[in-house]
Amino acid sequence: MKLTEPGESRVNGYLFVLERSLKTFLPTDVARDAVREIESHLRERVLSADGAPNEREALEKILAELGPPLRVAQAYSAERTIEEAVTTGRLVPMLRAVGHLALTTVAGFFAALGLITGYLGSIAFVALAFLKPIFPNNVGLWVHDATSDAWSFKLGGAFPALPHQHVTGGYWVIPSSLFLGLGLFVLTHRAARGFLARWPKRPRPEL
Amino acid sequence: MSRETWQEQLRRGSLDLAILLTVSTGPRYGLSIIQHLEAFTDLVVTEGTIYPILGRLTRDGLLEAQWVEGEAPHARKYYRLTRPGARRLAAMKGEWRAFAEKIDRLMTASERSAREAH
Repeated sequence: MKLTEPGESRVNGYLFVLERSLKTFLPTDVARDAVREIESHLRERVLSADGAPNEREALEKILAELGPPLRVAQAYSAERTIEEAVTTGRLVPMLRAVGHLALTTVAGFFAALGLITGYLGSIAFVALAFLKPIFPNNVGLWVHDATSDAWSFKLGGAFPALPHQHVTGGYWVIPSSLFLGLGLFVLTHRAARGFLARWPKRPRPEL
Repeated sequence: MSRETWQEQLRRGSLDLAILLTVSTGPRYGLSIIQHLEAFTDLVVTEGTIYPILGRLTRDGLLEAQWVEGEAPHARKYYRLTRPGARRLAAMKGEWRAFAEKIDRLMTASERSAREAH
C-alpha cells in the first residue's frame, strides 16, 4: 500500500520517538543506523500490506507487530548495557552492567564482588566524615585507653562507645575520611569502567 | 518460576541459534530473517526486538552487516554469517542436540517410572 499523509506522519512519529529514546544511551551514529534499519522494516511491511479498506488499521497492525518504540528502544538498551556503561561512565548504567555480568558469568560475579566492596567502602568513609560532627565521641579512630594492655585501632563508629577505648585524632578524621572515600570511589569507578571496556575483548575458548 | 518466565527464557536462549541458522544458508535482511523465523517457529513475539540481537551478533563478530541500495525502494541491511559465526553455529548445534537428547532421556525415564508406579 502507498501511505497517505496521515499515515506518513504516523510512521515518522514512531521513528522520531524511537530515535529520541535510542539517543539517550547510544552514540548518535549508532542510533541513526538503528532507526534507518527499523524504517526499512516498516517501509517493506507497508509496501507488501493491503491498505484496503482501512489504511489506518493496516498501519497500526504493522506498528503493533513491530512493538511500541519504547519497547524496541528497551531491547536495544538491554543488548547494549555494557557499551552504554563504558560510553557514558554514569554510575547507574555501570552498576546495571556489572550486575548483569555478575548474574550471568562466574568471572563477572567475582569482579562485581570486588567492585561492590570498593563502592561500599567509599560510601562508608564518606558516611564517617558526615557522622563525625554529629557524634564526635562515637565516630573516629578508636584506640585502647592507656590503662589497658591491649593494643588495636579501628576506624568507624560505635553506639554505645566501646569499653576501655576512646576516640582519638579529633576532627582530622573528616578530611581524611572524605579523601579516602572519594579516592576509593574514583579508583573503583575507573576499575569498573576498565573492566567493562575489556570485557568484550576477553579471550574466549576456541570453538 | 512462572511458566511465562520459563518459556521466555527458553525463547531468548534459543533466538541466537535460530538467527544464526537462518542466515547460514545465505545473506538475509532483517525482515527476511523475521519472516523465516515466523515461518518455522514462534520465537518472534515482537519483531522490533530482533534487530538489537542482530546488532549484538554483529558486534560479537558472528555476523557481518552491509547496507544494500537499489534492490527495493528503500535500502536493506543484509546480514551474513562470518567464519567465527559458522564455527560458533556448529558448536551451538552440537550443544543443542546433546542437551535436547539428555532432557528427552530424562523425560522418558520419568514417564516410565510413573507408569511402573501405577
